[in-house]
Amino acid sequence: MSGIWPDGVAPADVDLERVWTGVAAQVWRRNPRLPERLLARLLRSPGLARALLTTPSLLVPWLIASTVVFAAGALATIGTGTPWVALLAPAIAGAGIAYAYGPGVDPAYELSMSMAVSDRMVLLARVLAIFVIDTALGLAASAFSATAAGVAFGWLIPMTAVSGLALAVAVVTRSPNVGVAAGTGAWAMTVLSGQAAFGHLAAALNDHWLYLPYLVVAAGSAALVLIRTAQPRRSA
Amino acid sequence: MNIEINDLTRRFGRTTAVAGVSLRAGPGVFGLLGPNGAGKTTLLRTLATVIQPTSGTIRLLGRDPGQYGPRREIRRRLGYLPQALGYYPGFTVAEFVEYFALLKEMPAAAVPRAVAAAIERVGLGDRARSRLRTLSGGMLRRAGIAQAIVNEPELLLLDEPTAGLDPEQRVEFRTLLRDLGQRATVVVSTHLVEDVGAACTEVALMNGGCLVFHGTTAELTALGEGHGVGDAPLERGYSAVLTAARA
Repeated sequence: MSGIWPDGVAPADVDLERVWTGVAAQVWRRNPRLPERLLARLLRSPGLARALLTTPSLLVPWLIASTVVFAAGALATIGTGTPWVALLAPAIAGAGIAYAYGPGVDPAYELSMSMAVSDRMVLLARVLAIFVIDTALGLAASAFSATAAGVAFGWLIPMTAVSGLALAVAVVTRSPNVGVAAGTGAWAMTVLSGQAAFGHLAAALNDHWLYLPYLVVAAGSAALVLIRTAQPRRSA
Repeated sequence: MNIEINDLTRRFGRTTAVAGVSLRAGPGVFGLLGPNGAGKTTLLRTLATVIQPTSGTIRLLGRDPGQYGPRREIRRRLGYLPQALGYYPGFTVAEFVEYFALLKEMPAAAVPRAVAAAIERVGLGDRARSRLRTLSGGMLRRAGIAQAIVNEPELLLLDEPTAGLDPEQRVEFRTLLRDLGQRATVVVSTHLVEDVGAACTEVALMNGGCLVFHGTTAELTALGEGHGVGDAPLERGYSAVLTAARA
């Protein structure tokens, strides 16, 4: 100190604690990466952007696993002629979305429930992000396995229904595992029923009469999620 | 008044966790005492807007948390430390505190300094860049307190904040509580009567979901005069009130 001030005493108006806090703030500050900065600008909320990037089913290992499954599906489609990409896409998206948010998934869920960025907003942003990424992966895999071009877009509607169902069940039961089981189980039953009735696995994708039930399930699930995540007005 | 509760009841199925509690509190440190299952945590979670009351009215910081806009404003000015603090093991202390500062919608430019100040206040400056999975239980608790105070809350709700802290840290924490209580309403739920005696200006005692005492620590101590159970005067007051409530 005496090296800075000749009389060895700091001027009274220098708040050293405040100075140190400023230094610590600069040393400890995290520099958000480009995706986070872009998301923060897009969503107009740095908190929501950060919450989106902590989604368990958007972390790198999960994304790698999804990519591997889609790639395997594309190779199997090329090898067998069965549209495996289209059959796998709804199950992969359903699992990812069931693991988007909730008490069984997010370690700090209880704290998040008391935050200004509402848990409903976090849930919706995460669900949308997972759906977009899985759709992109599915489209890439479909494009790679050109034999499945006829059903490339046929799986988007079943995927919406399975994702919605998995999310609704996960929200209602507060368990992502139950959500995944409900979504993939219902999809497996639909596919197997199609095979039993028409003799091929792709029946659940190609039969246009199923589109309406898929859309009804998706809409009903979305409504259920919105109702369950709304906080009722009980106070005066 | 920062907290105004009138006839608040919260049920979980057939279990009534909080039964007709009415309470008002302004700035200061407010101790919430009671045995296990008394309803302290449920009351605190209701005040933290995590759960809704089954019936009754509640106003926090002069606003109705039942409506979206006011609830969001309350949450910006709220600090909450849950009993079971969930955390992301891969986050550093600074990242953890920053994450919740952002979720509290603090202005982005103010966040780094606020994070640094909160971490320093809980004495974790030397571990700011340590991953949470490497911290001891007491350090994790202090990281939890740091995220609760990062936004300089006007309403601070702490559920068992001294669990896992060593005696020296508890003394420092009481000093921090008294400091925070100068400007904010601080509600501390605890089993530790000595924490209440050392830091709280007011105290409420819950039993079986009901509020059985509300007053100053001196008033609670006075109720224990002549009562045999308890090592300290405040503990004797606590025991006397509980005994009377159960009778």
